[in-house]
Amino acid sequence: MAKTILVVDDSTSLRLVVKMTLEGAGYDVIEAADGQQALALLDGRKIHLVLSDLNMPVMNGLSLLAQIKQHPDYRFTPVIMLTTETAEHLQRQSQQSGSCAWVIKPFEPPQLLDAIARLILP
Amino acid sequence: MDLELAMQSFLQESAELLEQMESILLDAEADSITAEQLGALFRSMHTIKGSAGLFGLDEIVHFTHQAENLLDQLRDGHLQLDAELSGVLLRSHDHVKAQLAAVAAGQPIAPGEQDNILADIAALLPPADMPPPSAEAYASSSEPATDSEWLLSLRFGPDVLRNGMDPASFVRYLATLGQIQAIASCCSSLPADDSFDAERNYLRLEVQFCGAVDGEQLASVFAFACEGSQFIISPRTELASHLQQALQAGDAAEQQSCRDIWQQWGLWQPLADSAPLPTASVAADSLPTVATTADSKARNSESRFIKVEAGKLDSLINLVGELVIAGAATNLLARSHGNSPLLESTVVMAGLIEQIRSHTLAMRMVPIGETFSRFPRVVRDVGHELGKSIKLEISGAETELDKSMVDKLADPLTHLVRNAIDHGIEDVQQRRAAGKPEQGHVWLNAYHESGSVVIEVADDGGGLDPQRILAKAIQRGIISSDAMLGEQDIYRLIFAAGFSTAERISNLSGRGVGLDVVQKNIETLRGTVEIDSEIGLGTTFRLRLPLTLAIIDGFLVEVGSSTFVIPLETVVECMELPARPGCTDMPERLQLRGEILPLLYLRQFLELDGQAGRRQNVVVIQTGASRVGLVVDALQGEFQTVIKPLGSLFRHLKAISGSTILGNGAVALILDVLALIQHATQQEAGRYTLEQDPYQPAGNRQPHNNDMSSGK
Repeated sequence: MAKTILVVDDSTSLRLVVKMTLEGAGYDVIEAADGQQALALLDGRKIHLVLSDLNMPVMNGLSLLAQIKQHPDYRFTPVIMLTTETAEHLQRQSQQSGSCAWVIKPFEPPQLLDAIARLILP
Repeated sequence: MDLELAMQSFLQESAELLEQMESILLDAEADSITAEQLGALFRSMHTIKGSAGLFGLDEIVHFTHQAENLLDQLRDGHLQLDAELSGVLLRSHDHVKAQLAAVAAGQPIAPGEQDNILADIAALLPPADMPPPSAEAYASSSEPATDSEWLLSLRFGPDVLRNGMDPASFVRYLATLGQIQAIASCCSSLPADDSFDAERNYLRLEVQFCGAVDGEQLASVFAFACEGSQFIISPRTELASHLQQALQAGDAAEQQSCRDIWQQWGLWQPLADSAPLPTASVAADSLPTVATTADSKARNSESRFIKVEAGKLDSLINLVGELVIAGAATNLLARSHGNSPLLESTVVMAGLIEQIRSHTLAMRMVPIGETFSRFPRVVRDVGHELGKSIKLEISGAETELDKSMVDKLADPLTHLVRNAIDHGIEDVQQRRAAGKPEQGHVWLNAYHESGSVVIEVADDGGGLDPQRILAKAIQRGIISSDAMLGEQDIYRLIFAAGFSTAERISNLSGRGVGLDVVQKNIETLRGTVEIDSEIGLGTTFRLRLPLTLAIIDGFLVEVGSSTFVIPLETVVECMELPARPGCTDMPERLQLRGEILPLLYLRQFLELDGQAGRRQNVVVIQTGASRVGLVVDALQGEFQTVIKPLGSLFRHLKAISGSTILGNGAVALILDVLALIQHATQQEAGRYTLEQDPYQPAGNRQPHNNDMSSGK
């Protein structure tokens, strides 16, 4: 069974490109436009990995990360931050809160798939 | 990958973001900006930058990055949103918009104003500026050509599982880079008692690996897991130092257990021997995983809107129009046959057709807000140009009207708004002298009223001066100097072609073209313009428009052998024309509940043949505040009217606005209520002047005539 990745980003076009990239590599993709929506999707379904933007309306990526890490069912789910943010303090902060990787937009599809492959297998 | 699709989505999304950015900037100029708005501003550029990078639009990435930096400074409070910064941001907005338009059109992105704006941005930014992130940062370093052997000691931190990382995944990933020759786990830190915590990692892995990689690449495999973990990676050739490092890590038990592994592999020559350890892969599958039951894929709930080509909707509406006519024909046939079950079924069908009609028309309805949203920018630009400070207030943006009308309204509204700012709102000095706040107000308001949409453009400026308008109109030869005009009629003069009261001709208005065009535009939409004005307090232009252009609810009336349609929304009430025993002449007005109601005899007005019957009916019609009673022979009742435009031959007829086909195939003309009312009120005013002036010859009355152009 294909692994499911939750993609969280407020940009529809970015989500579309990420989705096409991931589906091309054999993953299932579900989408959310912000942290709040993403949390609503954590409803018991199997999610193998979360790919989240940092800067989003309603609930940003770091808050989402913190919520996921406290979620009884999803606290082990690997989280990759996919963002244009390069600031190191944010990167460190997210790592301390339990994110697994930090991929910077614009991403090259192989580079994103590579980062995911380290955490889960297709 | 279907990049075209993604590109479309990107362009649309960017357009939305830019619109949002613009509206925030325009709002914020007047009021203080909230943190939320600052965040949204930042995100607009940020998101466009992020997505543009995906499509290799380096120009846009480069530019938006600078704009984003500026917004970042603003967000962090290092900069204040003043007029200058706001101006630069608006120009940036325009530039990105132009860049995106070029992308959409498939043209190369022209540099345009880019360098100027970038220079302005640079001037506002503090000197320390980060270069834009580049994709090069990720290009992997050159790969070594040959396989090499490596020793790895992987001491994953205790929290690695809690952080969502499975050591087994790393090992599997490592296997994709080369060959894992040997792997062993060192489990000395496993607790012997029941303090075992399933969420904690106790394992240390020792790996012999062979692959065409360099040390950096190997280290990067484990880069995600560096927090709390320790990885010792060395080439096989540096065995001694690796072993030394590896054996120093951890407590005594771990060192011992590790030593055992190395010994097993024949890399370490110890004194004692110990039990062999299996060189199997880690028991990854037994590790705790997330428990789930549901497996359903989330369906995207975003497709709440479907884009439909306007032409398709138009032809659908045409067809619905035909359906309405055909339905009426069937109903008529059924009635003539007196077949009651058939009649019943046509009634049911008529009800359904009515619903289809209203739903089809509703599909074309869009909120006026789409048009209104451009005005903050117009007001800002015009205000800056004229050196006036203007606050625009919009209300009723959710009011819906026909899409084709929304498009045609943009120009007239823009003109009225510019006009309000240029002519309506006074200079700051004048305002101060008049004791008004220095900032002028312009209001845009829309609402529904009795079957029509009303749009108001109001200002709190100087108002219209009837005397000045009169003087100007006489000077321009638009009216004769002895004309007697009511206030409304005087205001109406400003719509006359070639009329302008502004002494100073500005770049925007005052050239005498425009307001007549505004009125013409509105009239082609079957709408009207009213003006309310109070000297010193301001002016309100009130546009009254029909809800739709295609199908209306009509009211059928009969005069002789002809049938006419009156738009139902203008019909207030119907009554019998009271018989006046002993009087043979026709009353010119009627007293209705204490109000005088001028009467218009349709038979005489349209010069129809035949004699009026014994009983006649009055249909009271109203637009705006004026009411008129139309005298007709018979009332036939409600009818769904599909408007067919008149041929060009009949365009000049002012009293007829269109035609329709009745159920029996006959053609009925649709009366232009506005023109009828104007004619009747003028006729009434004419009578008053005649009555006041007994010396005027009686034959000078206005002739009844189809062509009422004299009245307009």
